[in-house]
Amino acid sequence: MTETNRHALNIDTAKCIGCVHCLTTCPTRAIRVTNGKARIIDELCIDCGECLRFCPRGAIVAQTTSFADLKSFRFKVAIPATVLYGQFDNSTLPNAILFALRRIGFDYVYELSTICELNNAAIAKYIDDHPAPRPLIASTCPVVVRLIQRRYPSLCDLIVPIEPPREIAAKILRANLPRLLKVPAADIGIIHITPCPAKMVSINHPATMERSWLDGAVSIRDVHGPVLKAMRQSRKDTVICQLFPETIFSGIGMGTALSGGETRGLKNHRTVAVSGVRDTIRVLDQVEMGRLKDVDLLECTVCPDGCVGGPLAVEDRFLAKSRILRLVNTLGERTVVDSSDMTMLYHKDFLSFRHPVRPVKAPPLDADPARAIRKARLRTRIFRKLPLKDCGACGAPDCRSLADDIVRGLAALADCPFMREEKR
Amino acid sequence: MTGKTAFRQGFALKGGDFVSAGRASCAVKELLKEIGLDPQTVRRTAIASYEAEMNVIMYARRGRLSLAVTPGRVLIIVDDRGPGIPDVPLAMTEGYSTATPEMQELGFGAGMGLPNIKKNTDHLRITSKVGYGTRLEMTFLANGSKP
Repeated sequence: MTETNRHALNIDTAKCIGCVHCLTTCPTRAIRVTNGKARIIDELCIDCGECLRFCPRGAIVAQTTSFADLKSFRFKVAIPATVLYGQFDNSTLPNAILFALRRIGFDYVYELSTICELNNAAIAKYIDDHPAPRPLIASTCPVVVRLIQRRYPSLCDLIVPIEPPREIAAKILRANLPRLLKVPAADIGIIHITPCPAKMVSINHPATMERSWLDGAVSIRDVHGPVLKAMRQSRKDTVICQLFPETIFSGIGMGTALSGGETRGLKNHRTVAVSGVRDTIRVLDQVEMGRLKDVDLLECTVCPDGCVGGPLAVEDRFLAKSRILRLVNTLGERTVVDSSDMTMLYHKDFLSFRHPVRPVKAPPLDADPARAIRKARLRTRIFRKLPLKDCGACGAPDCRSLADDIVRGLAALADCPFMREEKR
Repeated sequence: MTGKTAFRQGFALKGGDFVSAGRASCAVKELLKEIGLDPQTVRRTAIASYEAEMNVIMYARRGRLSLAVTPGRVLIIVDDRGPGIPDVPLAMTEGYSTATPEMQELGFGAGMGLPNIKKNTDHLRITSKVGYGTRLEMTFLANGSKP
């Protein structure tokens, strides 16, 4: 396995007490507790952040870009996810939030809802240009891409090869900012502001290009306090924002922070939107068994309710969702992207993946199929002996995982406290 | 298929149980991935066994899906106690369906079930007796050249 330490989630061993909360919440059974501390198995982790959400000790740490890291760039550019607009009370205008980002040290702030609309229009065009295969799967959620690479390798070809909005935005800025602002390209740092720990992984180890157009990702958790403070300190900004509404927002793009947001823009297509990691796994299982062939686009976001439910957001997702829905309703079906611009960028391959999503082979029970079959048989025999209580006391999430670890040589039958008792 | 080298597992299927429908094929799919068969073989097996499993759920009273895997091939036998198929060649025709409106509401009954199974298997044998039941024997070669 070449994919080592490629994760945005780490365990703070000083805080971890070796309880079993993260074990049972992990949808890919990628965590084990050994010697009293949780450990993430690199090749199984998809960076969904479920463990981060559930750890009662705050021992799971997301590796995002810190404010200190930003100092290395002379010119700092922020691309905030539209989720940010739902993190403050109903009277806070998106413009005021963008203004406050400038107050806290970003030299330039780029609004993303327009690019979300551009991405949406490009997806619609791709669907129209490619009558088969079906269902196509949107690439916006980086965890879904990683999940497909590892658990559903045969579905890689169904991923729409259009880059997500954040990468398109960064690419546009990279191409134009040095000229517009007369700043050397090397001095510009382009940072995504996000509720999602997996964005860092998609920036450091992109699945569809050699190098991401982004330089880093700051969590909403980290900017929320400073932004709130900046807004409180300079009430005048709010007045200025009201009088000079400089930014144009897209109604279609604004909704993409919520599950169903991407499919909402596709009026003439058959679409399905799924959110939450377990439902995503369930629907991908169905696609792999040949279902949903009558669906044009499947939108999956592993966070509940979409990106708005990201683990690094601050506001409860139902409140944030309500605020964003309000913005969506206010903006209505307002579109801001010129379809001829989109078509031009589309045909120039400006919006496309550099290379297709490639499968990442999950480790089989054994490299030799005959031995793998023997191990599978042994695993069934071991599994039948186990108490099936799925208590996690052995350090594996459930009895089946323990049996699996035993045949892979990673655990012993004696790790199960019930088996030890029986021997006595 | 010799007993010594094969991995075997059986799954009970219950007619009309749409809630757990697909579980057996899903488990088969995971097992084949863990054994390390190539993704296309896994996918063909998953699609065919899912169709066969759904046929049992939709038409039969009960049935059983039995899996046997060797390094070179996968054998899946789906046996049911149900109405049987009066005319197997007719049932193999694309578009021919006996699905009820209820089944169609669930997205089945396009008359593609058996033809789809045929398309994804390297060898298929159907034996059926009206009023008694149906047996499908599906073989998938690990390096098969099917779509």
